Amino acid sequence: MTWIGELWRRLRHQLSGASFDQDLAEEMRLHVDLRAADKLAQGLQPDAARAAARRQFGNATQLQESSRDAWGWTRLDSWRRDIRFGLRSLAANPGFAATAVLSLALGIGANTAIFSILNAVLLRSLPVEDPQRLVQVRPGDQGDDEFTNPIWEQVRDRQQAFSGMLAYAPGRFDLADGGESHYAAGLMVSGDFFRVLGVPALEGRVFTGDEDRRGTPPLAVISYSFWKRSLAGEADVIGKTVRLNRHTFQIVGVTPPWFRGLDTDWGFDIAVPIACDPVFHPAHNALDERSQWWLRIIGRLLPGETVEQARDRMRAIAPEIFRATVPQDFPAEAQQGYLKNSFFLKPAATGFSEMGAQYRTALFTLMAIVGLVLLIACANIANLLLARAAARQKEFSVRMAIGAGRARVVRQLMTESLLLSTMGAGAGLLLASWGGRLLIHMLSTTTHPLDIDLSLDSRVLAFTIGVAILTAALFGLTPALRATRFDLHQLMKENARGALRASARFNPGKALVAGQVALSLVLLVATGLFLGTLRNLQALDPGFTRHNVLIITADVEQAAIPAAMRANTFREILDRLRALPGVAAAASAVLTPIGPEGWAQMVRPEGLTSKSAKDTLLFLNRVSPGYFATLRTPLLLGRDFNERDGPSAPNAMIVNESAARQFFGAADPIGKTIGMGKDSYQIVGVVKDTKYNRIKEEDRRIGYMAAGQDAAPGPEIRFALRSDVPVETLIPAARAAIAGVNRGVSLEFRNLELQVFESLLLPRAVALLSSVFGSLALLLAMVGLYGVTSYAVTRRKGEIAIRMALGAPRASVLRLVLRDVVVLLAIGIAAGLAASLAAGRLVTSLLFGVRPRDPVQLAGAALVLAAATVAAAYLPARRAARLDPMAALREE
Amino acid sequence: MPENPRRDEIPPGTLYMLILKMLARHGQLHGYEIAGAIQAVSDEVLQVEEGSLYPALQRMLLKGWVTAEWGVTAGNRRARYYRLTPAGRKQLLAEVEQYQRVNGAIHKILQTV
Repeated sequence: MTWIGELWRRLRHQLSGASFDQDLAEEMRLHVDLRAADKLAQGLQPDAARAAARRQFGNATQLQESSRDAWGWTRLDSWRRDIRFGLRSLAANPGFAATAVLSLALGIGANTAIFSILNAVLLRSLPVEDPQRLVQVRPGDQGDDEFTNPIWEQVRDRQQAFSGMLAYAPGRFDLADGGESHYAAGLMVSGDFFRVLGVPALEGRVFTGDEDRRGTPPLAVISYSFWKRSLAGEADVIGKTVRLNRHTFQIVGVTPPWFRGLDTDWGFDIAVPIACDPVFHPAHNALDERSQWWLRIIGRLLPGETVEQARDRMRAIAPEIFRATVPQDFPAEAQQGYLKNSFFLKPAATGFSEMGAQYRTALFTLMAIVGLVLLIACANIANLLLARAAARQKEFSVRMAIGAGRARVVRQLMTESLLLSTMGAGAGLLLASWGGRLLIHMLSTTTHPLDIDLSLDSRVLAFTIGVAILTAALFGLTPALRATRFDLHQLMKENARGALRASARFNPGKALVAGQVALSLVLLVATGLFLGTLRNLQALDPGFTRHNVLIITADVEQAAIPAAMRANTFREILDRLRALPGVAAAASAVLTPIGPEGWAQMVRPEGLTSKSAKDTLLFLNRVSPGYFATLRTPLLLGRDFNERDGPSAPNAMIVNESAARQFFGAADPIGKTIGMGKDSYQIVGVVKDTKYNRIKEEDRRIGYMAAGQDAAPGPEIRFALRSDVPVETLIPAARAAIAGVNRGVSLEFRNLELQVFESLLLPRAVALLSSVFGSLALLLAMVGLYGVTSYAVTRRKGEIAIRMALGAPRASVLRLVLRDVVVLLAIGIAAGLAASLAAGRLVTSLLFGVRPRDPVQLAGAALVLAAATVAAAYLPARRAARLDPMAALREE
Repeated sequence: MPENPRRDEIPPGTLYMLILKMLARHGQLHGYEIAGAIQAVSDEVLQVEEGSLYPALQRMLLKGWVTAEWGVTAGNRRARYYRLTPAGRKQLLAEVEQYQRVNGAIHKILQTV
């Protein structure tokens, strides 16, 4: 590493180098003096001796200079000079500098913001020990990645593929003791979780293998942020308790601030052992449940082993593991299918991100959009620099005439460009930290706020620096090369305003503007598509009326209510809610529309011979009488459920239009039966189609069963309240009414309208951001065209004046100037349309109800762009048409 | 007194080697002494363009082959004395070896004619 030593000596030299010149001079003087003394001794005259000594020594100044060179001072000095000169020349034109820095700050800032999110959810490795050695074990390459606890225990006890393994499940814990819930982000973890990850305890201890034992006491490890935020960072936190879902857990440790769990979207507050599951669900816990797939499994590769080796070892033990964990209650066929399971391995260094998985396309689309905006901004700055270079031609020619090489002048100009991009990047970094947080906020829902660590890391910093250098090269190089490519003699002979005019066949400024127009068009088309998508989604009839509906989720699992009494309790609560002032209608349901939960089953509709099992899949819900009226879903045929649909009556079902049509065709569905499991249901009514999980979905077949015919109601139920007053004002009364029935019910309140609104956060954010950046692009294109046209008008002043003097009317001058603009526009728009068509295919998954090839969309965007840019060019064109020919010619 | 007509410029690229060799032999020298030593040892055949010693010395300082320290001459003048470092000693061996290899090759070519 000799260069490190050199660098070190060079630096030390720099720091102590104040006397360098004097030292060297003194050394050389001594030499010459001694030589002269020698010559004197040989008999030369004093003067001659000195002269001879000097001659023999050589050119002292030059030698001194090259000694300085040895330490790399000249280069550093000239850089310093370049920078100082560059700053001066930027300061001489503050308007230009401010425009350039501002547009770069916006462009680089937006790019850095989006990149920092991409980095956090898709690229960055977990901050744990050697994350590259972490591998996830999955039941398949795609799709669900969880296992059952019996499988996990088998894997844990039998495997020899990894140096350590862990299992965990993200979830949430209710911190409230009844009434309205306050949730903390939770983790259920295996005993070795922290040890395998290499996460030590900041306070107290982390879990050990002991916590894997059944019946382990309820212990908790909390995160640093939870400690600081919710427990006020109290010093003696170890041994204190927290209440989770109404059970007391003792805190044994706090994790360091850098550990935020394995899910990059959320962080975690509290971790408890998987073996504590029976504390929450004493009746039937998940530990021995062979069909509840809920645990992610991760292993750390053995030293020197590859993923393939680990996979082979895991696959070798797969058959015995799955044989040992077959769900006994499965039919024989399903058991055979179960035994075919195997293990798939996937690197887990970056952790897990639901946002990254869901929003991948959106994030890359946004990245592309802001990238285009930056390109357009670069084109603008390049154009401004071209104009500036033309104005500074005299300066360059003088510098080159007195001996500066072309490379030297180009270097000076590139220094100026780098100064601009560095200032832009600096401001951009500030903007990015703010913009990134804003975007995260825009994508957060009230029930699931995103908590993403956007702190600046080396990758983001490298990205920003790379972008800054790249942009400087993009906007600086062409103008710099062009400004210095001229015949010196020719130029010195001509007057101040010459050289570019002669060689202006191919004008890079015009090419840049055409490119700008093309890129802006792509962005405008994208904006149109995303706005159209959002409009379509918002205008879509979901089959229910979302306004003025309060949804209450009630969970009685932790309340002291025997299972047999649940149905009664639910009915009693519903009665009390209906009686509240301001409540126009109320109903209960297992599920309410728009949300992640779903429930579906294969059914046997009467008279249907289905081609594939998929055709008989029916999405389900169980609702009380009045549910459809409450949500204002029209009943199309038959009747709603009523009080007579009880346990002793025949099972009734209401289906939606899609189910009726696809199961029974044109026949009257009323009275038909649908078999499901051991039971059969008679159809009593048909309702309009409603959206089930999300607004953006094809209509599904839905079947509704009667709440009164539920043999074993689950612990969780929802109440929908249609109100005449703002829904939030109902919450206190509703809370009191439910507490009047039972104080132990956990509650969550949601506004259906807000829920629907939040389900459209992503399309809204994409539409908003593409509108903002599309407008910015349009503005930049206008500025670009304005600049190029003004410059052209200035250059052609003489020609225009002569034309006018010879009698050309104003209109023809206007035409003359605008003709150029129209040609530029036509080229740019043609290129932009081609690019839009190509790019459209990449974003189809983000679109709804609009087609990227829709001619109306494309034509509309092109029209907007053409109108705006022609308007921008019109101003200088009109100025040209109003030229006073005499004055202009005199000036020439 | 006329200049000595039989004086040859030192071959390019060998200046470092000569300086290193002189320092290796004499321990520590200042610039004038280095120039003098080269001329004396070569029986005044080799002539260093004396000034060019100094940029070369600076480059050698940078490379870490020599260190410099201010001292006082016999005539009570301040002078910078140069001294070999272990890295410089290694460099000297390398340069001498390379020089001999090249020289040997050239010698062989001349012999074959």
